[in-house]
Amino acid sequence: MSHITVDDLADAALLYCEKPEWQDVTPVPQYDGILFNLSVDVLIVVLADKDATDYFRAVVKSDEISERVLQLTEDIIRLNPAHYSAWQFRYRTLIALKSNLDAELALMDVLAIQFLKTYQVWHHRRLILTALHGASPSESLDAAAKELHFITRALDTDTKNYHTWSYRQWLLAFFDDEALWEGELPYVEKLLDVDVRNNSAWHHRYYVVWGRVRANGEVDQEEVLKGEIAYTKDQIAGAPNNPSAWNYLRGVLEHTKQPFSSVQTFVELYAAPARKTAEDVVVDLDNPGPGPDAHLPCVAALEFLADIYEAAGGEQKKAVEIWKSLANEHDNMRKKFWEFRIKDAST
Amino acid sequence: MATSDERDWTPTPTDGVSTPTSTLQAHTEEILKARYLSTHLNAAANANQEAAKKPFEPTLNKNSHVQYLLRNLRQGFPARYISQEASQPWLIFWTLQGFQLFGFGMDGNTKKQTVDTILAMQHPNGGFGGGPGQAPHLLPTYAAVCALAIVGQPGAGGGWDQIDRDKLYDFFMSLKQPDGSFLVAHHAEVDVRGIYCLLAVATLLNIITPELVAGTPEFIASCQTYEGGFGNASFPGWALRGSSIDPSIARPPLGEAHGGYTFCATASWVLLQPYLRTSYSQEGAVQPSVNLKALLRWTVQMQGSSIELGGFKGRTNKLVDGCYSWWVGGCAGLVEGLLGGGHSAKAEDDAVDAKADQDNSLFNREALQEYVLYAAQHPAGGLADKPPKPADSYHTLYCLAGLSASQHRVMPSKERRATLESVYHTEPESQNDGLRKEVFLSALSWVEEVGTAKYVGGAESRLNATHPLFNLTVTHTENMMGHFYKQRVPVWNPQKKSS
Repeated sequence: MSHITVDDLADAALLYCEKPEWQDVTPVPQYDGILFNLSVDVLIVVLADKDATDYFRAVVKSDEISERVLQLTEDIIRLNPAHYSAWQFRYRTLIALKSNLDAELALMDVLAIQFLKTYQVWHHRRLILTALHGASPSESLDAAAKELHFITRALDTDTKNYHTWSYRQWLLAFFDDEALWEGELPYVEKLLDVDVRNNSAWHHRYYVVWGRVRANGEVDQEEVLKGEIAYTKDQIAGAPNNPSAWNYLRGVLEHTKQPFSSVQTFVELYAAPARKTAEDVVVDLDNPGPGPDAHLPCVAALEFLADIYEAAGGEQKKAVEIWKSLANEHDNMRKKFWEFRIKDAST
Repeated sequence: MATSDERDWTPTPTDGVSTPTSTLQAHTEEILKARYLSTHLNAAANANQEAAKKPFEPTLNKNSHVQYLLRNLRQGFPARYISQEASQPWLIFWTLQGFQLFGFGMDGNTKKQTVDTILAMQHPNGGFGGGPGQAPHLLPTYAAVCALAIVGQPGAGGGWDQIDRDKLYDFFMSLKQPDGSFLVAHHAEVDVRGIYCLLAVATLLNIITPELVAGTPEFIASCQTYEGGFGNASFPGWALRGSSIDPSIARPPLGEAHGGYTFCATASWVLLQPYLRTSYSQEGAVQPSVNLKALLRWTVQMQGSSIELGGFKGRTNKLVDGCYSWWVGGCAGLVEGLLGGGHSAKAEDDAVDAKADQDNSLFNREALQEYVLYAAQHPAGGLADKPPKPADSYHTLYCLAGLSASQHRVMPSKERRATLESVYHTEPESQNDGLRKEVFLSALSWVEEVGTAKYVGGAESRLNATHPLFNLTVTHTENMMGHFYKQRVPVWNPQKKSS
């Protein structure tokens, strides 16, 4: 360590131990431990981090509430966005000082994109939005609309980011304003046009269409169901071996308590070993068939058809035949599971 | 074991439609296939004539992984990486539990140092933080308590009796929300990871009460998505009436079904069964329910195909990753347990010469072992997501734990439960003993099903079994729970049962 001098740190900002405005604070080291054989680059960052977190422990200990705590926690967060204690202390300080929360959000915009995968980044925004709502529910709608745009930008760079999606879903429900909800379905469709296999987008579709709690009679459930089934069938027709779309179809039917057999004609087109030749195809707008490049039979369709047979009663044999073909031929990896289905159906 | 040319290399069908998801998928399949083939080529080049006659099986490179764990230990846990500074108990737990899976004990000095380090992270107001002076948080609390289960003991300086359980309980209660969930820390988020950590710790330390977990099963149930797996939380707002929940109004899950959350929710659901059994019997109480068949379906659907070497994914249409060997592979065993698939009578009666075909597992155990052995082992030691990712402490433990869970079947045993119950004694002054006893018996009834172990690569690949609810060895779980419940835990020795 002796070969590192303060000169090496010249490019960096001053350490907290060098800042005159922090001379009244005695830093609290984490351990009386030593630093290990790290490269110079790493060591500079470690020193800066050790310096900042030593001062952080000191302000936590003295329970200090001040502007300089905001600077300190920002520095720590920039070095380590997963430092949840720094986030926690920052939030507490912001509220205690009645800081401008819009300015806080603007500052956080930069950090959020940089540290997209960090929990705390998104949770902090949620706390700020909640506080804005508490202060003025009507005015906070503007902030919520801006936030939705910001989330969209974040998802542009990572379309399956878990925390971002979860946060978007929370935001919509928490503010529960028609103006926020109305753009969601077109947004999902845009994402699925780009990548029909984006399961996060399918989940969001389910959340928007079926998860939102509304007053009775606000929407015509039957119309919605018809529309969703038609949309999903079209997506399956375009790329049949897509478990996301099949899971959505199952989810919709289960949620609305429709029997799986209500889509049997459609499912059979995909459970068949090969596509019908052009002459045999009868155009059926309700049941679009697979395209010429479709890989058939589709495992998800076979499973679906077996479920229809199992539920029908008296068709158990047909279901067992399908499960056997899945176990032994089409989906050998899940042999144990398909054998379990056979056993389970017979008891 | 299939040789390389017999193996099914069918790529995931794209139906002629290429999207970002399918492009990434195809790229990953190429990488995995290449890893498999190069492993076979290297093996063939190095094999002597004797070995060349036998079909090749990949093995666990125990020595290089133990060296990797030793390097972590020697270089010291504290803040080696800034990004892990708020996760110090995790780094310790991942490394210690890794050693346990290999069957390595710790020397007295290391144990003592580790206990002291962990205790330095206990917060004066209860719970453990990610490091000394950090705020208490449910996640590091789980890691700290599990680390103490491994290296601690009762008595002065042993670590166990220095856990302030009263304050810990108060800390837990201070995080509780009206919808039955818990914040992971003050001013922090709600999610099922934190709830799992809380329930695992409360179970180990004997601090579960009806007050603590009231409403929690309903919250967990609300996180199940239409796909069958679980998301990270649910939205309570529409169902909230002041500080209580209207059960007739839905609480939609936030976030799609995900392997990590599904493990945590499923393990929580198992850990809550004692409360469900003892507290919902009266007054026509409505039990919350989880769709177990949908959960099972989702879990097995996460296992990748032959070209993906049988690893697990964390979400529909995402890539396989070694860590899901535990989060999803381990979860499959929990689901089987919930479906009543405990030790089969046959396995218990006929323990000694049980055959491989007695395997009642619902996922492909050999295939998962292959993924870990082919794809997750880093040539320089340690385990990883998939090639060409570097090894890290997190993946090292969860790949190993997943490998262990696919080697051993640890399942609830009625016989084990009966044995524990026969020696259970009730403390005269204790409250909630009905629940407490049920928690104790249920957690410790999970033991390895005799005669069903399977090792791809033979004995060289063998790891110790791990308890599917805690990811501790059964022995460590028994020792800690025996201490905190003041119960004797008799040795489990099923072979001698019939004599």
